[in-house]
Amino acid sequence: MDDEHTAEYTVPCAQCSAVDWGISDEGRFYCRSCHNVIERTREVVDLSFLKLSSRVSTIRGPRKKQAERGHVWMVCEGFQFILKNQADALLELGVSPQFKDDVLCPLWRCYLQKSRQAYTHDPVRSCKFRVRAVGSDSESASEAISCTDGESNPASTAGSNTENSGFWSGSSDTLTYLSARKKRSQSLLSMKKTLALIYLALVWSREALTLSDLLRLVNEGHIPYLNAYEQLPEEMKVTGKDSLIFIVETVPSHHAVHKEAETIIQFLQLPAFPPVSRQTLLHPALLSLRYLSDVNLPDELHPWVCRLLEHTGMMDQTLHTFDPHNHPTLPRYDLQAAALIIVTLKLFFCLDDMTEWHLSNDLGRPKDSGKVFNLRRWYKVMEAALIQAQERRDQNVSRKQWKSKKQIYPNKKEKCSMIKKKRIAEQVQLCFEKLTSCPSGLQDVGPSSFIFCWGDEEKSDGPSLHHMKLDEVVTRRCDFLTPLNDMYWHPALRRCLCYNSHYKEVEATLPRSFIWLLQLFAFMFDVKPFCLYEEVLSVERRIFDTRLYRGKSKADAGASAEAAGASPEAQASLNTRTSPRMTRTSPRTAEVSLGTRASRRKRQRSRS
Amino acid sequence: MDDFNRELEPHIDLENDSDSSEDNSSKGGKKSKFPLVKPIYGDQTQQNGFRRTTSMCRERIREAMLHHRWEEAAEYMVYYPQILEDRNLFTAQPSKEFIWRTATEIFHHHLNSTMEDYNTIYERMKHSGFRHYLMISLEHSFHLLLHQQIEDAKRHLASAESWRHGKETAAQIQNIKLIQAYRGLLDYIIWCVKKSTRSSSDYYESDSSQTMQNYFRQASVNLEEILKNPGVWDSFILRYVEMLEFYEHHKEALQVLNDYAYDSNFPPNPNAHVYLYQYLKRQGASEKRLMKVLKVLHALVPSHELMLEYSSLLLQSEKQSDTTKALGVVLEMLDFNCWGSNLEVWMRLKAVIQKLQNQVDWENIVGEKMAERKDWWFALHFTSFHATEDSKENPELFEVKASLTKILCPDRPLKYSLNGSQVKGKAETKKRKGRRY
Repeated sequence: MDDEHTAEYTVPCAQCSAVDWGISDEGRFYCRSCHNVIERTREVVDLSFLKLSSRVSTIRGPRKKQAERGHVWMVCEGFQFILKNQADALLELGVSPQFKDDVLCPLWRCYLQKSRQAYTHDPVRSCKFRVRAVGSDSESASEAISCTDGESNPASTAGSNTENSGFWSGSSDTLTYLSARKKRSQSLLSMKKTLALIYLALVWSREALTLSDLLRLVNEGHIPYLNAYEQLPEEMKVTGKDSLIFIVETVPSHHAVHKEAETIIQFLQLPAFPPVSRQTLLHPALLSLRYLSDVNLPDELHPWVCRLLEHTGMMDQTLHTFDPHNHPTLPRYDLQAAALIIVTLKLFFCLDDMTEWHLSNDLGRPKDSGKVFNLRRWYKVMEAALIQAQERRDQNVSRKQWKSKKQIYPNKKEKCSMIKKKRIAEQVQLCFEKLTSCPSGLQDVGPSSFIFCWGDEEKSDGPSLHHMKLDEVVTRRCDFLTPLNDMYWHPALRRCLCYNSHYKEVEATLPRSFIWLLQLFAFMFDVKPFCLYEEVLSVERRIFDTRLYRGKSKADAGASAEAAGASPEAQASLNTRTSPRMTRTSPRTAEVSLGTRASRRKRQRSRS
Repeated sequence: MDDFNRELEPHIDLENDSDSSEDNSSKGGKKSKFPLVKPIYGDQTQQNGFRRTTSMCRERIREAMLHHRWEEAAEYMVYYPQILEDRNLFTAQPSKEFIWRTATEIFHHHLNSTMEDYNTIYERMKHSGFRHYLMISLEHSFHLLLHQQIEDAKRHLASAESWRHGKETAAQIQNIKLIQAYRGLLDYIIWCVKKSTRSSSDYYESDSSQTMQNYFRQASVNLEEILKNPGVWDSFILRYVEMLEFYEHHKEALQVLNDYAYDSNFPPNPNAHVYLYQYLKRQGASEKRLMKVLKVLHALVPSHELMLEYSSLLLQSEKQSDTTKALGVVLEMLDFNCWGSNLEVWMRLKAVIQKLQNQVDWENIVGEKMAERKDWWFALHFTSFHATEDSKENPELFEVKASLTKILCPDRPLKYSLNGSQVKGKAETKKRKGRRY
């Protein structure tokens, strides 16, 4: 080892004239024959470091054992372990093994390469080092500090040097991660990005797990995320500034991870994803079936959702597949499927705080009410279950233990006070645990795709309504089965130029039952209702987009009757009732006049 | 201790994701460097998962406590202490106090709590930071006192008294005074115990009297010191005076009480004058001195019960003007509703007026005093309602009051008579009867 450093130094020793140099523990040159120590130190051998930097290209490069500090390791190595653990957890939950080996692994490699962390001759850290190696005096002080890269010092002296400079971490390249410039470049990893990568791999392998499922599993602790660094191998010591990278205090939101995933796609310039066809579980046609059964809606609604899909042209698989050219956005599969269900329910029950209850009132009396779907009954069952589930979730949230047993100390100064705080917290905790004799930690819930549980078993959320018939709310018109309800409302569909959602402003004017439905699905996906609202709007835009509509043939007339509007009078009367923002659909087809008359008749009936 | 944490380095949040594409308000608002008014109840929008958990947990604890579900509150308390590990001191600091206060409250109501639990919490929280050190020490010793562990309580106070921590000591100067005061009080309590045991056994046992003397000296050092600070030290001064009296340090006792009552730095405190009066009375001071004290008390609290004694002292005096003063004192007492149906006060009023009637111009004097009261005094004391009430509850009072009506208000017909109301009542019943037939 020493030889390769001393080989270039061929000056004979001043005392004994021998050319046999060794390097002492302090990094100083000494003559092996007479033990004369000279001024020269290893620091000059910076050229050899440039060679060394190629070592970075292999992640599992040679590691030198350091006293009590474990191996020298890279941050991306740490992330690799975390990703591996996350993927293994997913495999254990039933994701197919191809997900890890054939999708996530190449994706990860591609990521490392693109972000110049590995598989490259130009690793992301070496460029920084060169600035220093050149040793230009003009470099600013701040840069000089950020250059105190663990790698820039020979490993044997890294320990003492890094501590002197106030920099202290287990991994060797933490500072690179923390320098503002690199953070801005968006190419470096964070804990959030591990989830985004996993999510992308899941979409690529067309697994039945949506993003909200993934986040729920993370939240419930089935997939390592919080304190994931605990599972790193023993030799990889996580210390010091590593805490800023590996400690998380929050599970990112649906919105954030999705955005992150889109950024990664951009960054990696991924090709088109494998098509999400009708048969894939991610496709709204099948995903909506899952959600229908989760919220206890009758199975009979599913064909109607599919009809809606066809009508809006959303059966097309290109719409659900990411493609940098044709469809350069990553769909939110879960939100989209929920939006379709909401729109279908609106078609059937209007959800204007009136029609749906009238419809349920009319249903109140028939002979076989046990078999007919009644929205009021469903609402009552669902509302109770929702409140219960909300309470359950709140309880779990307020009982979540965030702080890990294995602490990382950001610097030595804080170490003792942090240990003390930890001890105090533990003792207080212990005191109450003894008092209540309740076990700490979350109550273990088995992982499940479903949030609610319907049926007659114990612990179910209520009776199952899956088998209920929709007979009373559909009617046969011109040989087409259409919903009895022929009114439909929607908020203004024109896109606003600003990118913010206007949900907050219109929320007060929207019908309560519609908002409740939004909240139900928002709770299920753990998203803000406005995300869902935007998704509903985009489905509605597809329904009512005239340009799209003109392309359709008359064969769709039956379906279009669903979307029929009311006459101007009815519109006026309704406008006074709801907000001026809400507009009725404009009549477009021949059936409309029939629909209008019917609706007027009904309106009169309801008034009398 | 926690000095290190003081330099609150801004926490670099790599995981910062703002979910709020809808509200711009939260985006612009960077965390200010100033301490928030109530950082513990921070707004919901900027919360991360950890903050959300702790704030929800705190809400649930509060809810459970409000509804006296102590078991449930204790369960959530298991999860709350993790906030102590929060690196953000704005949330960690107030939560210490929350944990300390909530925990002791829960223990107080929880069935299974033991003294050990209390001690754990008090000790842990006391040492978790120096902000509340003295306050917690004080409360800890209160708690020990409640459980009759006087020696332990004293030990805690003694250690708290000698606690010093740089600038923090200055910030907690008030608490230090309190601790001194209570230490003195504890010495007094032990002194009392010794006294009671001594008196039961040998009176002249020099050993125990020596220890008593020691406790007295310790207590008096603290109490004397504390009484120099302006404030309300009622319960402390009483004990101090009691000890001084026991050892017959009458001069000092009088000095202490005088200072307490008349030092203008102290907040006006009627009790100070009461204590002084009581002491003087015990010592058999002259009437003149007693009256002087009561005069000041009269200015502070005209409705004080000692005003009865004051008026009797004034009555006993030879001077004519004192009788007039007595009239004023009694009338002012009666201005307060609480004395309205008190027989003794009315009797005193009658006695005063009887004595006044010996003077020539007594009608003028009474009229003068009544002039300012004529608008409302009769509604307060002399309505027909009062007449029926008084005659029912206390016939004697009724008679005294009735005898005074003419004197107090010669030129006005008063409804304060039983006959009037009875006649009226009879008339009404007649009317009703007439209507019926």
